[in-house]
Amino acid sequence: MEHEDPRNGESPHRSSKKSKFSSNYIPESEIRDEFSHHQPRVARINNGSFGSCPGSVLAAQRRWQLQFLRQPDAFYFNTLRNGITASRMIIKDLINADHVDEVSLVDNATTAAAIVLQQIGHSFAEGKFKNNDTVLMLHCAFQAVKKSIQAYVTRAGGSVVEVRLPFPVNSEEEIISEFKKSITEGKSNGRKIRLAIIDHITSMPSVVIPVKELVRVCREEGIDQVFVDAAHAIGSLKVDVKEIGADFYVSNLHKWFFCPPSVAFLHCKKANASSDVHHPVVSHEYGNGLPIESSWIGTRDYSSQLVIPAVLEFVNRFEGGIEGIMERNHEQVVKMGKMLAESWGTNLGSPPEMCTAMIMVGLPSRLCLNSEEDASRLRSYLRDCHEVEVPIFYQVPKDGEDGVRDNDGCITGYVRISHQVYNTLDDYEKLRDAINQIVKDGKTCKMLCIE
Amino acid sequence: MASSLHSNNTQICPNPTALNGGSAADGKSQISKKPRLYADPPLLFTPSDIISEFSHHDPAVARINNGSFGCCPSSVLSAQNQLQLQWLRQPDNFYFNQLQPKIIQSRTIIKDIINADHVDEVSIVDNATTAAAIVLQQIAWGFAEGKFCRGDAAVMLHYAYGAVKKSVEAYVTRAGGYVIEVPLPFPVSSVDEIVKEFRQALRRGKQNGRKVRLAVIDHVTSMPTVVIPVKELVTICREEGVDQVFVDAAHGIGCVDVDMKQIGADFYTSNLHKWFFCPPSVAFLYCKKSTNNSDLHHPVVSHEYGNGLAIESAWIGTRDYSSYLVVPKVLEFINRFEGGIEGIKKRNHEYVVEMGQMLVKAWGTRLGCPPEMCSSMVMVGLPACLGISSDHDALELRTCLRDKFVVEVPIYYRPPKDGEEGGVVTGYARISYQVYNKFEDYYKFRDAINQLVDNAFTCASLPIS
Repeated sequence: MEHEDPRNGESPHRSSKKSKFSSNYIPESEIRDEFSHHQPRVARINNGSFGSCPGSVLAAQRRWQLQFLRQPDAFYFNTLRNGITASRMIIKDLINADHVDEVSLVDNATTAAAIVLQQIGHSFAEGKFKNNDTVLMLHCAFQAVKKSIQAYVTRAGGSVVEVRLPFPVNSEEEIISEFKKSITEGKSNGRKIRLAIIDHITSMPSVVIPVKELVRVCREEGIDQVFVDAAHAIGSLKVDVKEIGADFYVSNLHKWFFCPPSVAFLHCKKANASSDVHHPVVSHEYGNGLPIESSWIGTRDYSSQLVIPAVLEFVNRFEGGIEGIMERNHEQVVKMGKMLAESWGTNLGSPPEMCTAMIMVGLPSRLCLNSEEDASRLRSYLRDCHEVEVPIFYQVPKDGEDGVRDNDGCITGYVRISHQVYNTLDDYEKLRDAINQIVKDGKTCKMLCIE
Repeated sequence: MASSLHSNNTQICPNPTALNGGSAADGKSQISKKPRLYADPPLLFTPSDIISEFSHHDPAVARINNGSFGCCPSSVLSAQNQLQLQWLRQPDNFYFNQLQPKIIQSRTIIKDIINADHVDEVSIVDNATTAAAIVLQQIAWGFAEGKFCRGDAAVMLHYAYGAVKKSVEAYVTRAGGYVIEVPLPFPVSSVDEIVKEFRQALRRGKQNGRKVRLAVIDHVTSMPTVVIPVKELVTICREEGVDQVFVDAAHGIGCVDVDMKQIGADFYTSNLHKWFFCPPSVAFLYCKKSTNNSDLHHPVVSHEYGNGLAIESAWIGTRDYSSYLVVPKVLEFINRFEGGIEGIKKRNHEYVVEMGQMLVKAWGTRLGCPPEMCSSMVMVGLPACLGISSDHDALELRTCLRDKFVVEVPIYYRPPKDGEEGGVVTGYARISYQVYNKFEDYYKFRDAINQLVDNAFTCASLPIS
């Protein structure tokens, strides 16, 4: 669990080399230091929701903020644009994009969704698309994205088809098969599918989706555009936008890539570069291309977009850089997931190869988690009484299906555990013991006392 | 020249009641009616207090451009940092238990300051640019959904902010609206000139059976800066049957009187980081309660969609909301000045006029408007011999002033009108005055320009880039 390589000394020199023979990787004590601003004693196993940012990157961010405050005009005219371009260049290389013009920095995936969907909305409103032409999305798409579709697509006359993915899921084939079925539905009655929105890693419940394959299917089926919502992807799994081949690809950098809140990149395939994609907050840069529009949306604190070089320095202090971090996070979260499932007598929500740094673990049926309120109540209880932070998912039982069972009944609740470099074995043992305690006390979710 | 800051705005006040700005002249101050947020009456600022609150500013720079990016005192920055750390410490807990109540607290304070009826009318957004997108997007839907007829008009000032003009293009023109710009004279001598042009533009708007769906009116224009008689213009809009009036008061709060009920607009936005000491960036958008405008949405849609603009704006995805949350701390800061925000506003105005008049006297030029038509900023004519003959020249001169003279001030190019003779003033500097400024800043600027004139500098001699 810990990075117990005896070759890791307390070396004062920080090397960015990934050589196996270097003893200069960041020692455990420094990792603790970097995250010493996290609330101690909290088992923080929800990196997925709000991410994390190390102290050295926060310090870099403060320097940028102070530079702006010191002389904002000079900063605006001489520094800001170059800083953002430098960050975009790093992202371009990380994600294997062809050209930096394809990379825009925005606040978060929620903003990127509004950007992509607003242009769809325009096309409906301006008659480019026919009334009822379809937008395809996953049933478990992030709530903000669903609402964005309502605001920009449904309102403008488009229709929506939801792909119902099975959960728990056992193989990629299950996902691909459901997706194909939904495409057929989306094209029924002479409709054209104008956009498919595909999560790379779904949020709740969390599963890795075979996006490359699904994008290929979309192309075969003549779907106009594909938007991959990869909020959790970068820093979690390898991102190669050319390989994936979507028209739009967004990922948050503050979730798994150690940036401060908040910053995300939106990749737009070059073929789309001259197309009609705009930032909804219009500044004097309107019409100069999305990357430039996004780099100035009025006076704001852009410091979170400027620290990406500092983040790269941070991840390169780890053995294997970001790849090494990803590998170890995945190993550990699977190990911890299995430990919990075994202790509780439950299951994992997906096979290990369909998860990254997060995994869904079934909760004992004796908790009687039978509603969203129950899930919320359990989460608050764990936070307030056990100092465990972990999101809980309520699995609505399918009609006519029994679902997965443990020895006592149907499993209807799952925790989504995350692993990031600051986590320790303690965190998961704390969760394990808390749940076991509740079950031992004979309590159900409804019986839990919260403030 | 005595102390680096003026003695007028720095006094230790032994009488606690005076802290609430309760003098007769401040009858309109809403802050005087609020209970104080702290137990003991705090001391008013001394000159060294102010210097220390703005010690993060580059001390070498004559920073006479508060209008562009505003300023934030270090006690507020500290408070902001604390909030940022609270989030980072345990973000889930902050999200579920603290964020929304703190935003409501900020909104409530703003509601009182601006004399709005109900906190539901007050949304907090990033900046006026965002507010403009919100208001204009609903106009676009009006066209798209057939509520408005193609060719219905939107009216805005010729000097509307660049971002707002582009937003009007993106949301109104694109959706089929017809845009009318109100030409305003500059230099301007009286409010009547503005009112006259506005009436004429509205008439043009209503020609050919068009309806005017929206009027966008600056409260204080940016470049060139002039205070617009918004209350009167809003009244005219109502008389002429304009559907909605949106007042863009980016420079509003802390710069001019901001009273929603008095002004009577449907929408009113003001940045809080310009003249209200908030960190970058935060603004409010006021939306009068009315069936006419219930359909506003934040363009960045989150799960809060449909819960009202104020709630939508309070969560637009994971972000740093700390600038939205420091408003209580800012109020504490402001109330340590004599007269609170009213006192600051009054003194800023007095000093900027005094400095403006000093400069025009030194250079033999003129102010861009009479003193009563300016706020905490004023346009000061630059010597004609500098030969400013384009926007490019203005920007280059500004860069020269920054790099060679360490003076930060925006320059406006005012093209000569037909019939105007040579020697006319074509360049104006927009000087600002805020609590951290000192007379020296303006002397430095005066001397820089005098030196350029002495050296026979002209913009024509600048390298072409």
